[in-house]
This record gives sequence, structure tokens and C-alpha cells, in this order.
Amino acid sequence: MATRSQTAAVLLAGALALAACGSGGAQAPAAQSGAKTLVIDTSFDLKTADPGRTYEPTGLIVGKATYETLLTFDGGDVTKPVPALAESYELSEDGKVVTLKLKQGATFADGSPVTADDVVFSLTRVRDMKGTPSFLLDGVEVAKTDDSTVTLTSKQANPALPYILPNPALGILNSKVAKQNGATADPQDKAEQYLNSASAGSGPYTIESFNVSSQVVLKANPKYYGTKPAYDKVVIRNVEAATQKLNVQRGDSQVALNLSGDQVTGMPANLQVKKTASANVIFLFANQNQEISKTTPNAKFVEAVRKGVDYAGLLELAGEGATQAPGVIPSQILGALGADQAAKRDLEGAKAALAASGLSNPTVKLEYPSELTVNGLSFQPLAERIQANLKEVGITVDLNPAPVTTALDNYRNGKEEMGLWYWGPDYPDPSDYLVFLPGKTVGERAGWKAGSDKTVEESGEKAAAAVGDDLRKQAYADMQAKLNASGPFIPLIQPSQNIVTAASVTGLEYHPVWTVDVADLGAK
Amino acid sequence: MSNTASGKTPLPGRGPEQARARRRGAHPLARFLVRRLLTAVLLAWGITLVTFVLTNLVPGDPVAANLGQRALGDPAIVAQWRAEHGLDKPLWEQYALHLQGLLQGDFGTSQQSHRPVAQDLAEFVPATLELAGAAILVSLVLGVGFGVLAALRRDRLSDHLLRVLSLVGISVPTFWLALVAFYVFFYRLQITPGSGRVDPALGGAPPVTGLQTIDALLAGRWDIFASAAGHLITPTLVLALYTIGLLTRFTRSAVLEVLGQDYVRAARAKGLPGRVILFRYVLRSALVPIITVAGLAFGSLLSGTVLVEAIFAWPGIGQYAYKSATTLDLPAVMGVGLVVGVVYLVINLIVDVLYGVIDPRVRLQ
Repeated sequence: MATRSQTAAVLLAGALALAACGSGGAQAPAAQSGAKTLVIDTSFDLKTADPGRTYEPTGLIVGKATYETLLTFDGGDVTKPVPALAESYELSEDGKVVTLKLKQGATFADGSPVTADDVVFSLTRVRDMKGTPSFLLDGVEVAKTDDSTVTLTSKQANPALPYILPNPALGILNSKVAKQNGATADPQDKAEQYLNSASAGSGPYTIESFNVSSQVVLKANPKYYGTKPAYDKVVIRNVEAATQKLNVQRGDSQVALNLSGDQVTGMPANLQVKKTASANVIFLFANQNQEISKTTPNAKFVEAVRKGVDYAGLLELAGEGATQAPGVIPSQILGALGADQAAKRDLEGAKAALAASGLSNPTVKLEYPSELTVNGLSFQPLAERIQANLKEVGITVDLNPAPVTTALDNYRNGKEEMGLWYWGPDYPDPSDYLVFLPGKTVGERAGWKAGSDKTVEESGEKAAAAVGDDLRKQAYADMQAKLNASGPFIPLIQPSQNIVTAASVTGLEYHPVWTVDVADLGAK
Repeated sequence: MSNTASGKTPLPGRGPEQARARRRGAHPLARFLVRRLLTAVLLAWGITLVTFVLTNLVPGDPVAANLGQRALGDPAIVAQWRAEHGLDKPLWEQYALHLQGLLQGDFGTSQQSHRPVAQDLAEFVPATLELAGAAILVSLVLGVGFGVLAALRRDRLSDHLLRVLSLVGISVPTFWLALVAFYVFFYRLQITPGSGRVDPALGGAPPVTGLQTIDALLAGRWDIFASAAGHLITPTLVLALYTIGLLTRFTRSAVLEVLGQDYVRAARAKGLPGRVILFRYVLRSALVPIITVAGLAFGSLLSGTVLVEAIFAWPGIGQYAYKSATTLDLPAVMGVGLVVGVVYLVINLIVDVLYGVIDPRVRLQ
């Protein structure tokens, strides 16, 4: 039998091991140890800190903090571009030329002044590098008129340009530093590696450390010429939604960006929950290509689907803060349709339309990305609800989910009979939604070829050419009304973007382009 | 894990051949190592082939996963992206280029981070090593300790309690355990720190080894060391619980078997102290099956890190692997596959060598 000393030796070994591991013990939450550190938890979608290649949500947060653009938006209001590095701008009457007067006294993080040459270099670089955001400046010529004036010239009227310029991808970088580190402003540009470790911008923050799959640390730019931000250091961490919730509740982080509607219900009173309808529009489409389907190109079939979907039910699924999308253009953006123009469920009308279609008990295949979530909302329950809704009309829907990379392939190639997808604005201007027209990017994906619907196409051309806010608003509203009447798209909802912050964080506004501007956040 | 060392006894025979055999036999361990290393290289090549074929069999286009919807509509951008990542070349050429790169220590460039995969791995592997290393240490000490304890106190209360613990460890899924542990210890009881490797307000120690605890000690930063060690506790225990359970069970039965042997009884009879009997007679003989199980378990520990790292926001290779797989980042997936494969090979090699160290019979052969 074992002796007492044997037992004691074994126990001691175990205890020592535990003690060795446990010596750290519990830490005080981050907020208390460094008063000026802000911790933001988010599920990373991040590839780069090079503004010329940035296009992902997390990248735009970083870009907004480290670089400045010529124009920007005030808070969450995206209907009016306001001055940033440019103190004023003017759009020519034909909509082709934007003239920008640069602000004097702006400096980069190394103290050197922001010049017109830097602007020309940065914008040309985005356009010619053929990175993800290069389409923003497709066909735009950038020229310096004098030391404080820059003009952007497009071949066709481009009234959207002032709304595109605030995109953090168009941040102005220190051309001298960038060139020293391999920037050549063509597809062979090598500056990205440098820009991922240091920032060559004039923003309120600079990069302390940058890692695409774990965390990004920003520190306040000591040479920032504008108002100093409230936090000296901002840590953006890659954290799963479930963990984000516990972290922010316990005070380990101060901001959680990716919580779903379910996760934010019942939050304790010491946390602030901001629910804003996001600018992402989830929509359904019926393929118009006869080779893909004999059922979905039928106009009466599309009408039956449009009338058969229970929009109120979908909204309930999406949770508080979500809104129905009356058209493809989301509510924040100029030209959005009013809530009174939103489609409503009309079961009898749907059945009548199906009867008039000449199809009896049609069966269609609905494809959607299985694991993708938009603002924490998953496509799966939406698809199931739509399936149930259409069953009541007499349409059998076979659900066909696939991982996003697979599903996206079919969608892009226009091979889905019916699809459930979303569109997020590339820039907050209605011209971004011309892609839904026949023959354009999304139109093609729905098998809607150019020339297949003259009325809609004409209204689209009119909208694209319109100059002046009032005219554009009207033209885009008209285009959407026509799209809803005869197009293959059925806009469904804009899910809610839920942001939870500690009581100490002030001034948070959800922004449809860069989610949150960390320099705007205050401390209480 | 076959014991390859046993198959190489020199055949007794004619003169010169025997002499040669004796010469070669002078360093049986060295010969054994060389042969295992050569096999390892072949296996590593096999791993590259399998990961390459598998990643290319996946339906789905990396372009779709990496470019924005708008950029996808522009053929010039798509073509530029494909060319940049060598996807415009035929498959066999892509593989040949990949192999050629590997031979020069180049794992390719990640489509996600735009950095060399080797650089990414150098950053993420240490984080996982720190976590997995701590888990291995804890499970060896606790698993073997508990197993011995259970065997010595057979059928008493502590034995029964340890049986329950090990059954729980073996049967509870890691991801569930990770979530619950995080919720209970961090959120409810507030005794462990939150996500990541170190308190974000402190920042990390200057990287030398990449192991946060060691780097903190090297820099003389006790605050960072305490924070890093604190952050290690929960994920380590969660990750180790399965191996602790497994090792407890195996150690217990191995020790029990040895305890019944005549030589143990003889040692007791001649009045040797209990400590000597336990460590020199019992444990040493019981170690061979324990090491076999431990080797296998530590290999599978790496797959457990994917889930644990996700929940504790641990910036390791598991998170990197997951992200690379979901975005079809081919070079990164292949890089991770190769690293994990090599880790398996190394663990197996260590286990085989340890057999020889522990068991004189293996050495004599």
C-alpha cells in the first residue's frame, strides 16, 4: 500500500504545477489600469492598413483613424459631404469636374505638410494600383491646379464623387514616405508592407501594431494638428460575438460591435446599446434567364413572390432596430423610397398572381450563403421563413445553402434560380445602386440582360445623369419604383447594427461606411 | 506509433559484413534518427501534396472570397488579383512553384494578410506553442500525478473522484467547456482575465522568443508576466482537461499492473523506502504505455486549439488556420497544414526516442 509520503509527494507536484500556472492570478480589467485606453472588440474582417487596398469593415475603422480624406461626413449623416483635408469643394454644372481647395496647416504624422502633390499621388495610386477599391475612381483624372487646388475630372457626369471621396480607402498619404518605401502607384506597388506597420497619414491616430487576425493597436498621433482624440491608445481586438458580449459586460472591453439582436436584449443598465438600421439591404431575386429556369422569369411568378413574402414576420426575426427596405436603396441614402412605398403581404393577391402565371405548383431552388451573417443576422432563418411564406401561396421552395465562397460563385455567374443576398453601399450615394439595372453587375447575376426592360433602363440612365440633390432624389425614387414594379428583385430588410458601449464611452455614432470613428469617441 | 528501433538488429553472419554491422551498430540511435528523419521528409512532402490537392478540390473561388462585390464585377481587377497570386497558371505549375518555394524556405504569400506565410506563421506559432506547451506540461504533471494517486488509493474515495474527473475530461466537448469556463471564471466569478494573451492596456513585451511569459521575464517586466500567466490559466486548463483525463486513466491502469508484479513485491520485502519503489520501480516501467498515449494526445491537442483560440481570442495558429480556410487562402492553408504535420512527426520522433531512453530492452536491441 502507498505510504503517506508517496501520496504527499504526488499531491505536492500537482499543487506546484497549479501554483506555477496560477501565479498571474486575476487582473484588473483593462479600463482601470490605463485610464486612456479604449478596447474595441469586433469579429475581424481585415486585410490591410494600406488605404489604397482597404475595403473591409475593420480596415475602414483603422483607415478612418489613421488617414484623412479630402471630404468626410458629419457623424452618421451621409446625405451631405463636409470639409476635411479640403476646406471646400465645388461640382461643375455638368457634373464632370470637382474642384477642391486644400486646407492650410494640415500635417502628416512626421510633421511635414499635406500638399496638393500628396493628394494627386494618393488618389492616382488608388486608381492605378487595381486593388479592391480602385473602382471608386475609375476614369477619374486627378490634377493639381496650384499649390492649394486639386481638380478631379470624369468623362461623364459624376455627381457621386463628393460622396465617394470620404471613403477611407481614399485617405491621403505622405507621398514622400510612401515612395521611399516602395510606392510606385501601379499594380507593382510595394508599399503595403510598410503601411501595415506604420502610418503615413495625417489622421488623429498612428499604427502601433497591426495584425490581420488578432489585434490592431492605435496610438494618438502626437503631431496631430487638429483636436486631440480622447483616448491615447485604442486596441481593436478580434473576438467572437459570444465572447464580445461577456467582455463588454465585465468591463474588459468598452465597445462590442458585432452583437445580434438576441444578444443585446437584457443588457444591464450600465451599458449603452445603440440599435441603428444598417445600410445593408437584404433582398431576394428571381432569375430572369430562361436557360436557368422556366419558372422564375415569369413576371406573374415574381409578383406572387413579392406579394407572398411576410415582411413584418421577417422584421420580427431580425429584431429591434431593423427596418423594411422599400427599395434597393437603404433609408440613409439620398433617393431612398419612403416607408409608405414598402411592399406589404397580400396573400390573396399572391395566389391570384400565381394562378395568372399559368404555373401550377411550381418548385424553385433558393440559394444563399449558409454561414454568412449580416450585422449578426444569419440568412438561414430568413430563408426558412420565406420558404414557409411561399408555401402558403402554393410555391414550393427548396432551400439550397452553401458556404459563402461556393454560393458566391454561383451567384456571380448568374446561375441561381432564386437567391437571397445583400448589398452594402460602397459609398453612400444612390449611383452605387445602378448595379441593379439590367446588364449591370447585380442585374446580370439575376439573369437580367441589358435591353430586357427598356422602362427601367431609361429611368436608370436619367438617374445617373441627373445633377443636383432634388433632381437626383426624384430620379432615383422613380427608378426604384419601376424596379419594384417589373424587376426581378424583392427588397426585404435592413438589419439592425447593434453596438454596445460602456457607460464611460460617449459620442458613438454608427456610420454606414466606416462603422465607427474612434477619434469621435469621448470618455466620461 | 510502431517501435521501429526493434527492426534493425544486425544479422549474425560472415566476417566483413558482421564487422560493418558492428560499425553501424555503434550508434544505433543515430542510425535510427537518420532513418526517421528521411521518412519524415518524405511524409512532409506527402503532406504538401495532400493539402494542395484538397485545397484545390474545394468548390469555390478564392477570388470571390477575397475581393469586394464591386471589384468582382471588374475583370481587370480580377485578372490582376489572379496574376498576383499565381492562380492564372495551370495547377501542376502552381504546385511545382509551391514546392520550389518551400525548398527555399518560402511558403508563399498569404492572400489575406498580403504577407509571406512564413512571417505570419512565425507570429502565430509561438502563441499556440505557449498555450499548447503549458497544456502539455499541466496534463503531464496532473494526469500522471492523478493516475498514480488513483492507483495507490484504489477503490477509495479519491480514486472514485478522480475517475469522475477523468471521465468528464474525456467526454466534454472542448468548445463547450471553453465557453462555460470563460463564462464562469471570467464573467461570473471574475477571477480570471478576459480575451487575448495579455492585458491590452499593458501591451506585449518586446518579442524575443514570441512566448509572452518568457519575453516578459527577459524584459524584466513582472506586470506583463503576471498578466500573461493569468491569461494562460483558463485556456490551458480547458485545453488540458481532455489529456489530463486520458492520462489519468492510462496511468492508473499501467501503475496498477506494475504494482502487482513480483519485483515490486520483492522490493517491498527487502524494505526499500516507498519513494524509491514508486519512482524507480513502478513509474519507470509504467511509463512506456503512458508515453504512447501522451504522444497521440498531444498531437490531437493542436486540433483542440482551433476552438479554444476562437473563444479566448488567442492569436494563435488555430485562428489563423480557421480564417485562412474560410477565405480559401491557399498558401496559408498549406503552410498551416505543413506546420501541423511536422509537429506530429516531431512528437512521434520524440516518443520513439523516449522508448529507448526509458526501456533498456529497446536500447539493447
